[in-house]
Amino acid sequence: MALQEVTSAFIKRMQSTQTPLKQAWKLQCLRTYATDPMQKELGELEESVHQATPTDAAGKRLSQYDPTQNAKQRKEQLPPSRYQFRSPRFYRGPLHPHQPLKSSDPASREFVPGPFTLPRLQQTYESTIAPDLMTLTYQHYPPGFERPQKGERLREWVGDSPYFKNRPRRGPRGYDVLPLLRKPITFRNVPKLERVTVHTMLKGAADDSAYLHVAGMVVQNITNVRVQTHAVRKSVASFGLRAGKHVSVTSELYGENMYHFLSKVIDVVMPKIKDYKGVKGSSGDSSGHISFGFKPEEVALFPEVEVNYDMYPPKMIPGLHVTVHTSATTDYDARMLLQAIGVPFYGKMVD
Amino acid sequence: MKAPSMALLRAFAPITHSQTLPWTARGCLAQQQKSNFSTTEQRQARDKNRGPKKDPRITQIRYHLYHPLTPRPLRFSRNRALRHWTIHRAWQRYLDEQRKQTERTLERQYNAMSAACEALRLVDAHGLTADERTKIGESNTKEEGRLYRIAMLKTGVWDKVPIEYGRIQTETPPRKGWNHEWTR
Repeated sequence: MALQEVTSAFIKRMQSTQTPLKQAWKLQCLRTYATDPMQKELGELEESVHQATPTDAAGKRLSQYDPTQNAKQRKEQLPPSRYQFRSPRFYRGPLHPHQPLKSSDPASREFVPGPFTLPRLQQTYESTIAPDLMTLTYQHYPPGFERPQKGERLREWVGDSPYFKNRPRRGPRGYDVLPLLRKPITFRNVPKLERVTVHTMLKGAADDSAYLHVAGMVVQNITNVRVQTHAVRKSVASFGLRAGKHVSVTSELYGENMYHFLSKVIDVVMPKIKDYKGVKGSSGDSSGHISFGFKPEEVALFPEVEVNYDMYPPKMIPGLHVTVHTSATTDYDARMLLQAIGVPFYGKMVD
Repeated sequence: MKAPSMALLRAFAPITHSQTLPWTARGCLAQQQKSNFSTTEQRQARDKNRGPKKDPRITQIRYHLYHPLTPRPLRFSRNRALRHWTIHRAWQRYLDEQRKQTERTLERQYNAMSAACEALRLVDAHGLTADERTKIGESNTKEEGRLYRIAMLKTGVWDKVPIEYGRIQTETPPRKGWNHEWTR
């Protein structure tokens, strides 16, 4: 907020001299009033606000620029340069006068700079995989084609009963839950990786927290993301779980971290696993999220664990579940994306 | 007469200072070893209430896993904050520009594809559209759009992406792309 204030004040101060900024919106139309003569040639239509100003205009503005004069003319004074807006530590609701900054503001507490790398997997996806998937799944609709209308997925209650009025609609025919619809793939919705969740559940953690800590360290090293622990919600006597005990660890990967993690899994870990068949073809939750797992011996193959394997008590190295969340709405789309990235699948493919 | 000891001189003479250490580590020289050197393990007082000894690796992991509170946000003076903000915005705009370009490339490819399919749909086996056929005087429309129909077949599309294609690009690819002789 401090920055916004300062910036707006800065812009306000500059406005007297900085005419192009003020008239930026006018660039779109050729004349101010309908009766005016046209101001520009049509060839100049592509002029953008962000183009560098011509040198003579810049020189003119420079001669006009007089900071002391501006400071005198200013009605309200700027806050002193040492003034800092302090983002509140805790969010106290939308009505509180002390609001936190947006996370994109460098002065915000949540600000994370970056991204500073362009992962190989991302480059491959953008240059090759996305166009390939789009081409593979392309379905042509001739001009004038209209898709046949289908019936309502959630049916209304039809009958004489007065209670049918405003009653919530009936559930979908043949399903417990409403399955996601698959839209034809265009350039707007080519399936892409959204996030990856790495998860471990540790049986021994209920008795000895060392399991939890070692697993947390392993997952954190592998994924480069701080882990989140989860407590048991309901006691299950047969599994030896008691409510309130922390037994599992997850980390959510987005963007750079996700790409680096996946390329590590595909290029380093999976080829090193002995007799690795691949991911089971029936994996997936039929809405485009595909999971696979690694046993403790396989987790030890991650380069970060391998490089100082002695750091961890060998019996406490956990197995992992990896869930890849894609923007595809069906399993076969998601599987095709993962295959194109290089994840092998085996067995019968179930959609 | 006994020669004077050189020990004191050596301790203070700058010549004897080894320059092998980088200047950042120079402070380490000042720190002398405090505890007396001994190979025997230092034993703690025994406490009967304590359980079996913990694995030191776990202690270490716990120690390093602990993280203090999130550090305070950056505090800059007005001009410095403005500079920071400007650079940040410029970087974001650059990324956005790149994103838009990739999007537009995809869109162009898609439009080209649909135009090609539309042309294919209206063309017969000789590459003539209906108009051209009437000009010539031919009226056989049996073959029209055959190539289009074949192109739209989706058999085998969902089966599998060949594993040879599913590779992440590198700047230094191997000379021999794929070892076809390899068997398990």
